[in-house]
Amino acid sequence: MPMKKVFTYLIFMLLPVLLFGQERTITGVVTSSEDGLPLPGVNVVVEGTTSGTVTDIDGKYAIPVTDENERLVFSFVGYKSQTIAIGQQTIIDVVMNEDTETLDEVVVIGYGTIKKSDLTGSVASVRGEDLVKIPAVSPMQALQGKVAGLQVTSASGSPGAGTVVRIRGQGTFNDSSPIYVVDGVILQDIDFLNPADIESIEILKDASSTAIYGARGANGVIMITTKRGKAGQQKPVISFNSEYSIQQMNRKIDLLNGREYALYVNAYDPGTYNNPDVLPNTDWQDLLFSPAPIQNHQVSVAGASEKIQYYIGLGYFKQDGIIEKSNYERFTVKLNNTFHIAKGVRVGNNITVTPFKQQNTNGNVVFTAYRALPLLTPYQPDGSYTEVPNVGNPLADIEYTNSFDSGVRGIGNFFGEVDFLKEFTFKSSFSVDGKYSKNKSFTPVFFVSAQQQNSENDLTKNFRDDFTLLWENTLNYNKEIGKHRVNVLAGYTMQDTQSEFLNIKGENIIREGDDFWYFNPSNINPTGIDDPNDVDPKFYYSMLSTLFRANYTYDNRYLLTATYRRDGSSKFAKDNQYASFPSFAVGWNIINEAFMSDYTMISNLKLRASWGRLGNEKIEYLKQFSLVDNGVNAVFSQSEVLNSGASYGVTGNPDLKWETTTQRDVGLEIGLLEDRLTAEFDYYHRVTDDILIPLEIPGFLGNGVGAQITFNAGSVLNKGFEFVVGWNDELANGIKYRASVNGTTIQNEVLRIQGGGSVSDVLYGPESLTISRVGEPIGSFFGYQVGGIFQSVEEINQFPHLDGAEPGDLRFVDINNDGQINSLDRTVLGSSIPDLLYGISLGASFKGIELSLDFQGESGASIMNYKETVRPDRYNFEQHALDYWRPGSTSTSEPRAAEGGVNWGANDYKSSRFIQSADFFRLRSATLGYSLPEKLIAKAKMQAARIYVRGTNLFTSMDFTGYSPEVASENPLENRVDRGTYPTTAIYSFGLNVTF
Amino acid sequence: MKPKISIQYLIPFVCFIISPLGCSDDFLDKKPQGNLIAENFPVTAADAEQAVNAVYNTMRISEFNFGLFPIMDIMSDDAHKGSNPGDQRSTIGPFDNFTHIAGAGQTRAWWNTLYLGIKRANVVIEQVPPIVMETELRDRFIGEAKFLRALYYFDLVRAFGGVPSITSVQAPIQQERATPEAVLTLIEQDLTDAIAALPEKDEYGASDLGRATKGAAHALKARVHLWQSEFSDAETHAMAVINSGKYSLEMNFENANSKIGEFGIESVFEVGAIGEESLTNGGNQYANVQGVRGNPNRGWGFNRPSEDLKAAFEPGDIRLDATVLNLGEVMNDTIVIEGDGTTPDGPAKNSYTYPGFPDGIVEVEAYNQKVWTPGINVPTQFGHNRRIIRYADVLLMAAEALNENNKPGDALTYLNMVRDRADLEDVTELNKDLLRDIIFHERRVELALEGHRFWDLVRTGRADDVLEPYGFIAGKHELLAIPQAEIDLAGLEQNEAWK
Repeated sequence: MPMKKVFTYLIFMLLPVLLFGQERTITGVVTSSEDGLPLPGVNVVVEGTTSGTVTDIDGKYAIPVTDENERLVFSFVGYKSQTIAIGQQTIIDVVMNEDTETLDEVVVIGYGTIKKSDLTGSVASVRGEDLVKIPAVSPMQALQGKVAGLQVTSASGSPGAGTVVRIRGQGTFNDSSPIYVVDGVILQDIDFLNPADIESIEILKDASSTAIYGARGANGVIMITTKRGKAGQQKPVISFNSEYSIQQMNRKIDLLNGREYALYVNAYDPGTYNNPDVLPNTDWQDLLFSPAPIQNHQVSVAGASEKIQYYIGLGYFKQDGIIEKSNYERFTVKLNNTFHIAKGVRVGNNITVTPFKQQNTNGNVVFTAYRALPLLTPYQPDGSYTEVPNVGNPLADIEYTNSFDSGVRGIGNFFGEVDFLKEFTFKSSFSVDGKYSKNKSFTPVFFVSAQQQNSENDLTKNFRDDFTLLWENTLNYNKEIGKHRVNVLAGYTMQDTQSEFLNIKGENIIREGDDFWYFNPSNINPTGIDDPNDVDPKFYYSMLSTLFRANYTYDNRYLLTATYRRDGSSKFAKDNQYASFPSFAVGWNIINEAFMSDYTMISNLKLRASWGRLGNEKIEYLKQFSLVDNGVNAVFSQSEVLNSGASYGVTGNPDLKWETTTQRDVGLEIGLLEDRLTAEFDYYHRVTDDILIPLEIPGFLGNGVGAQITFNAGSVLNKGFEFVVGWNDELANGIKYRASVNGTTIQNEVLRIQGGGSVSDVLYGPESLTISRVGEPIGSFFGYQVGGIFQSVEEINQFPHLDGAEPGDLRFVDINNDGQINSLDRTVLGSSIPDLLYGISLGASFKGIELSLDFQGESGASIMNYKETVRPDRYNFEQHALDYWRPGSTSTSEPRAAEGGVNWGANDYKSSRFIQSADFFRLRSATLGYSLPEKLIAKAKMQAARIYVRGTNLFTSMDFTGYSPEVASENPLENRVDRGTYPTTAIYSFGLNVTF
Repeated sequence: MKPKISIQYLIPFVCFIISPLGCSDDFLDKKPQGNLIAENFPVTAADAEQAVNAVYNTMRISEFNFGLFPIMDIMSDDAHKGSNPGDQRSTIGPFDNFTHIAGAGQTRAWWNTLYLGIKRANVVIEQVPPIVMETELRDRFIGEAKFLRALYYFDLVRAFGGVPSITSVQAPIQQERATPEAVLTLIEQDLTDAIAALPEKDEYGASDLGRATKGAAHALKARVHLWQSEFSDAETHAMAVINSGKYSLEMNFENANSKIGEFGIESVFEVGAIGEESLTNGGNQYANVQGVRGNPNRGWGFNRPSEDLKAAFEPGDIRLDATVLNLGEVMNDTIVIEGDGTTPDGPAKNSYTYPGFPDGIVEVEAYNQKVWTPGINVPTQFGHNRRIIRYADVLLMAAEALNENNKPGDALTYLNMVRDRADLEDVTELNKDLLRDIIFHERRVELALEGHRFWDLVRTGRADDVLEPYGFIAGKHELLAIPQAEIDLAGLEQNEAWK
């Protein structure tokens, strides 16, 4: 009833009724084609007049008409309008078809929603049902390859592992992750969210859409709307989803077997293995990995009454790892309520509570198994572990590692909304984001070998809490006068974030069982840990912001958006705390121009452009301070007493200010053939200036060896094109099918690294594996370029070479042509940033059977096979090593047999030999589902029931010799360096969805 | 129709407007947690002591020792790179035959560490005076800091020539090199102040052994004057140490550097250390860098004693055995020195080319015994106390100065004290020039592998003669290049011969 009242009221207000003579009344019922249920609130208007009504709760309507030549127009948000001639009819029942056109879709944007046709920004939407297609902890996993401009990479395949998310390239040397806004609450991650609780995700990419988040918008914004009971949904909808999956390795690294290894060693150290044919052969990968299950179950109830909209969701997720002693388990509790406490007054809550538990296996074990010699049996006849020289026995590594994380994340958002003076809405929203987590690790006493042993057991515990309070107040003004539509938003927000952690270590725990993993004065070791109690300098800050946005639409044709946000952050010194972030955007709905009416094939045409400045405040707040270093001790007296000392540490830079990104975007949206074919193209150009980077400074400033000071010293460009092309159609025989392709090009380039005066102009990654310098992408791989293999002594003498070079050694290119090979010859060997991301999505359905296929790929990036380098001792080799150069052979890629040395990257001679292509093309997901016929399920009082089978990562095409080129690090200076990453797997799932 | 504005509609507006005012700027004030910031330190007497201790800490930073590797001896005729042939061949090797470059990481690390010590000293010299505390103690603290600042600047000025003169913690980021004279003047003034402020060694309590003393300041000042051939002042300060009566020679030469002799009678200034691998826990890597490589595993084996050094000892000089640790020697009764498997044991030509040795130079695997600490593992090696100034050096400085000041008789007294301990016959030579050479030779064998030889050769003008065969170029290699990074980053002017 309230719906009807509202709509009647609206009609009454907007369309003053002018009634002509009544001749008769047409009645009927309007139903939805989707479920056959009545549709309340449908507008029914006599065409060309202002005479109209709306359907009631049962979908019924009655409308007076005067002429049999009149026609009735039925319209409803989300459905295709229908125009029906009256003729002689008195009862006209209408079945409304859902509108697959996206034009009138409502899009969630910062602090509000907007009709997609009014949108000037670049925003991609993903519906909730697409998010449950990948069995993973984080909803972000499901977005791989789905959205143009969005790159989602798994950090590793270990259960509970996070994702590295980039929107439109690598925006900074610092944290380039987007922010997440869940039902209006600004967060740093959404790994705690159950994908099944999500209604939709929108990815805000350009300045027009993200500028409302100002200092947090530079790297994009991901808006998440969780499910709520829908107004009018009187009957509760109860959903039950259950899924069971098996993960399995579908790829092994091609390593030498025992015999091959022996032959290889014999090649450089003859006679080491006299009879290679009788040696044991152990495949450590087979011993390490075994199939493992994932369970994922949810139950939810959603509904509404006049006063309350509610949603209650409960989820359980458990993933076992393919390596022993790795697993992840969590519950998710979701509670979203809106209470209509008075006319135009609403209060509500969005609450998420996520307790989780995780066990971490030995973090190095994949690398250990990779290096372990294949001609050793894992166990001795007496059952004890075999000593694996140099690397340790990987199985023992697992057994003696005990590491557990546990904790709870809770987010509570409480809001009140008041509509007043017709056009105004005031909203105040208060949120609490709390996370408490701990890790406990215990290493027992054990002995495998002199290198792999622990003589005193030890126990470490880390406790950490993070706590954010966010208070946001916004005032919204909406007005439509004739052809003018105006929406104005103003707001004021405050945020306070704190974190604290505490590490404690103990030794000689009296018993090894977990009942005894507690500290007491006799086992605690206060000097065992650095930073025993501190705050996380990235998560200890406060912000104050004011925000403003105006949207103006003229005649549905011309769109204008202006946004302004002013943020203050505690992370900077007083004078630099505040910064302003403006943006402007225009849009032109060409389709609504009169001249377009001739082009009936074109159903949508829109051009938009935006410019704006955004900030990134995800930096360590301590960099501005000159801190006092403790523990700078001196030793005095014959009895060697440590006297504590303290002095000034590295000088801070109080002049630090915000990183600022200037982004431009031009977009074109096209719909053809009644939007069966849709396409969207964007060009983006992002320049981030004043990037905070630590740079070397002159030694005479007294900051010690390798000291760096952080300056606003860098600029980075990301530019490229994005496109999405989709086809969506239904054949006459009822087969529906769709196909879409998206792609993104990224050109990343460092424009500037210079702090002005006494600082350096390049930035090296750890171990100088990467370099960042002007003209190259961030974190480019760095080292010697291999020009070939020295085939003879004569050839060695022809080329610049290293001292002691022998035939069969790698020939490094003398890049600077100075006649010698030294560190000046290192060059850029590849980039970790792909220049093309793409995804293909295909789907078809017929009579309850549906099939969908999602492909994903990247090209243009390189990966460093670090695990193959650095061999001070004997380790196993990859298969290609067998093609080693030998006198008479002419290999130009594999050097002579040797267990280490320069050819294998020793002594900082990392070379292009270890850089591989990271290109891949993957069948990310394939689903075959079947919805049971209505007749069948109606008996069980079900509304819908569906079963499905699905495969994830079924197939990957790539050149990389490791498990997966998806090796991501949040640090752009060491991205895609494979040091033996926990592999991602193929996943086979079976699931059931039932709705009552 | 005009809408009625009721109070309930105003509430949100009021909230909205006052909320920004409700929070002062304090909301954005987040102080570092658990960390002092420089503005708040040092402010108490206890702070002052911690700030002073931190200045000493610099001497245990591994790069304080000539940039981690004892390059100063490798750059002389006393030692070669050492370790196995490959290790650090391209980084330390060039210092062996004077092919090192301005970009060498070791000299930069050394430079940076010396300036780190200077910054820490400046914290004390600049920030401690206003602290309300016992005057005598405050003066001593400042005296200690000035002594150490002088020590650090003296290394800089000897190695690099004129360097930026930084005497404040608030030094501007743009600096130019001061003249060598200006740096030396600063050093001398600091030492004069230190002499006035510091107590004698025996005036400290036992728990403070290792702090800078009046004697140490005199001795360092003697060294500074000797560097400038200011023999009269050198004599004055060396004699002040001798006449203080606080020092004498260890009976057993070995104990001048050994564990037993730590903070002993011969120790004028040394760096206390604890046998732990961590700097924070008291370790000093100086001895580990030079320690026996292989078996027992004590270190990396750099700074290998040269055959030339071994030959320099007179027959019967007991110091040879206590200076060079040969393979097969048995230390502390049970520890057999087997050495490194990847290093040739016997005489073997090293792989460097030297202009004066067309046939190359032959090395024998051996180690610097002066850094030996009893033990068989790495951590114990970190417990060696590096002797910065010992009394034998003071005696030889006195002898040298006295001879130059035409007091050969007095010179012989102190020279022969050193020789007596080495079981050598007294010298009776009174000819100034001949005696000068004898004293110089005595310095070489007495102080071998303690980081003096290169400086002694340079300051006496003998470097070109002695080191030319090794690649030394007169007029260039007396100084190291200003680290290339300082030139690139700050535009410092390079030493002329290094341009």
